[in-house]
Amino acid sequence: MNESNSRLWLAIRFFDLPLTALSFTGQSFTELSLTSRPLTTSNLDGDTDKPQVVIQKKRVIFANSLAQQAGVQPGMDITTAQLLSGCEVLPRDETKEQSVLHALSEQCYQFSPYIERYSSEALAQSGLLLEISTCLKLFGGIHALCEKIITQLAQTPYGFNYGLAHSAPAAWYLSFADYAINGTESKALFIERLNALPIALLGDYPKAVEALRKTGFNTLGDIATQINAKSISSFKKRLGAEFTDLLCDIYAIDQNFQQAALFETPRNNYRPVEWFAAEIQFEYPVTLVAQLEPAIESLLQQLSTYLRKRQQQCQSIEWRIADIYHHQELIQVHSDEPQSHWQLLYDLSLIQFNNKALPFEVDTLKLVCEQAMPLQQRSQVLDFEQRRRKSTLQDFTVTIAKLKARLGDGAVYKLGYRDSRVPEITNAILALAEKCNQQLPDVHLKSLRPTWLLTTPELIEQRHERLYWHGYLTPLVGPERVIGDWWQKPVARDYFLAQRQDHLPVWIFFDLYNKQWYVHGVFA
Amino acid sequence: MNEISPETPSTASLEQLLLRDDMWMGHSQRFTTRAAVETGYEQLNASLLNRGWPLGSLVEVCQQGMQGEWQLFTPALLALPGLVVLVNPPAAPFSQAFIQAGIDLERLVVVAAAGKKHFISCFIELCRASVGAVLAWQPQETMSYTELRKCQLAAAEGTGLSVVFRPVAMQQQSSPATLRLYARLASSGLEITVFKQKGHLQTQQAKPIVLPLPAQWKAATPHAALMQKSAGAKTDSKPQPLASVIPLRGKT
Repeated sequence: MNESNSRLWLAIRFFDLPLTALSFTGQSFTELSLTSRPLTTSNLDGDTDKPQVVIQKKRVIFANSLAQQAGVQPGMDITTAQLLSGCEVLPRDETKEQSVLHALSEQCYQFSPYIERYSSEALAQSGLLLEISTCLKLFGGIHALCEKIITQLAQTPYGFNYGLAHSAPAAWYLSFADYAINGTESKALFIERLNALPIALLGDYPKAVEALRKTGFNTLGDIATQINAKSISSFKKRLGAEFTDLLCDIYAIDQNFQQAALFETPRNNYRPVEWFAAEIQFEYPVTLVAQLEPAIESLLQQLSTYLRKRQQQCQSIEWRIADIYHHQELIQVHSDEPQSHWQLLYDLSLIQFNNKALPFEVDTLKLVCEQAMPLQQRSQVLDFEQRRRKSTLQDFTVTIAKLKARLGDGAVYKLGYRDSRVPEITNAILALAEKCNQQLPDVHLKSLRPTWLLTTPELIEQRHERLYWHGYLTPLVGPERVIGDWWQKPVARDYFLAQRQDHLPVWIFFDLYNKQWYVHGVFA
Repeated sequence: MNEISPETPSTASLEQLLLRDDMWMGHSQRFTTRAAVETGYEQLNASLLNRGWPLGSLVEVCQQGMQGEWQLFTPALLALPGLVVLVNPPAAPFSQAFIQAGIDLERLVVVAAAGKKHFISCFIELCRASVGAVLAWQPQETMSYTELRKCQLAAAEGTGLSVVFRPVAMQQQSSPATLRLYARLASSGLEITVFKQKGHLQTQQAKPIVLPLPAQWKAATPHAALMQKSAGAKTDSKPQPLASVIPLRGKT
């Protein structure tokens, strides 16, 4: 028994995905399908009132029915398409297409565990390939299962064609021909249907298709006849191994092996997105944060176990507290470093909870962690100096995280140097994770610089023809002329070190534009 | 019950009290920390116990606004490992000056903790974590003895340098800090008066220690002198020809 013969693939090709995916909002797809068609926007299925085309690299890759009626063809340039139909031009968004395919896979997961995505570069078409041979019994046969899948997908706003065949690429290519599924199909029938397909469908291999066309091949059937008459090796020589592999996949031809079943290509198990959510319901209304603590700890321990089992870590978690009247409150906890242990998250959560008093009597406490990342993705800086400067920011992650939880992210920062002539622009405020520039050019390195810089320069009064800022000032060293930033807000200043009556050295400047004196810093 | 003399429990409790770590018996240095970091100034080292800034204890500096605090602490900060955390600094630290001074900016962290409640909790958190050095400027509200004591206890739990800057008026109030200083800029330099030091009994009025200020801060030549010098120079030197003139020779 050759098991690969018993495989059955259903290809679902979303032909208008480039256009329809543009209106994908990213909301949960189950919500979308529940509400079914009413959510669909006007530009779907090509039945809008105006012609629309989707372009990529300045070429039309998809035209809706109105645009096609006006004569727009995929592959045209924008100008021609616009001249022909006066259409609306939309750029392609491949990430959105992938998110739609992801959402659709989630939906198809109820029918089969083997789901693959397929995207054709040349035709700008993508779709899903489902292996359904193992699910037939559960759903009552080919016809019933396909009917269910099609009904389910018909509720989504995406137009699609389907094809059924014995191999994944064969199913994909058969989706271009419109055959109804009646449940009695056999491999022989699939091959017969495939034979009728034009070779233009193999557009992802333009060179091979061109070569075949020149030698007089027009349909896949011509190729099949040739393979049967001679052998596959002649194709391999002329058109390359990759293309031959595709042909073998389409017709399920064993190339080398006597015992094909041993070397069967494995099917990919689809893995749906997982997230962590757990909740605790209290037997009595909770009014104090202290009473929540054991529950918080227990939920975080559950999260920790969940993450450890999956070799994952997370950076942010969400607490949802609710009372019996369905009032809800959301508390988000974020840590700079990804965590897989609960202790730091516990401390950070407590700070967040203590910062705001409970708004109501809490009945349920829920912990949700939607974003988790694999442990392997953690990267470490290759830093040979680390051993020397032993204690740095990384060692105080917990302390810093606690401070941030208390004061907010913006309240904890570090400084860096930014290249400029204007002093206040050179002082860069950076997040702790960023690397700061400490390369000071000679012009700044050799000049007098105060330790404190006033955020905005303070105007100096002139009393009795002397400079006065909380005391009389005497300029001692200077001037140092600073000119710069002429392209934005021109700056021209003469900086001096001045001494105040009480011997405090201050950094003052004379603004050459508005002829005023200012204090800009203090030497301390 | 009445037979027990009232003295017995009171003497016992006094002894117990004296055994406590946080009790200070004048000159006794039994309970003071030994760990210290060099101040970078010989005169100052000499007047401090253990010849340096005490680590793991609260240092209080009373001063009017900004008075040479970086001059005072930069040598110690360069010697200490770990982070330098500024809590509530009175202005923005100027990165160029710190690069000039040789302080690694990666080590310098600024924490803006508005309000006394947040200030104290941040200070405690940082001191306990022994981040390296914590330089904190007291917020607008005055801090009570109890609050300062919380800070002192947190500092004692850590091993870093913990400094709190307070206004001059606070000098008159009692404080649990291990070391209390008064800093003031004078014409001769930075005057530091140590007016309290745990484990050191002051018998007479403390004399201020004068620390030198960087030479660049002083005017090289006063303006008036500059004028005189240039005037003198003019009279002394002979006017020189600006450039030698070579007559062009035309073709004959």
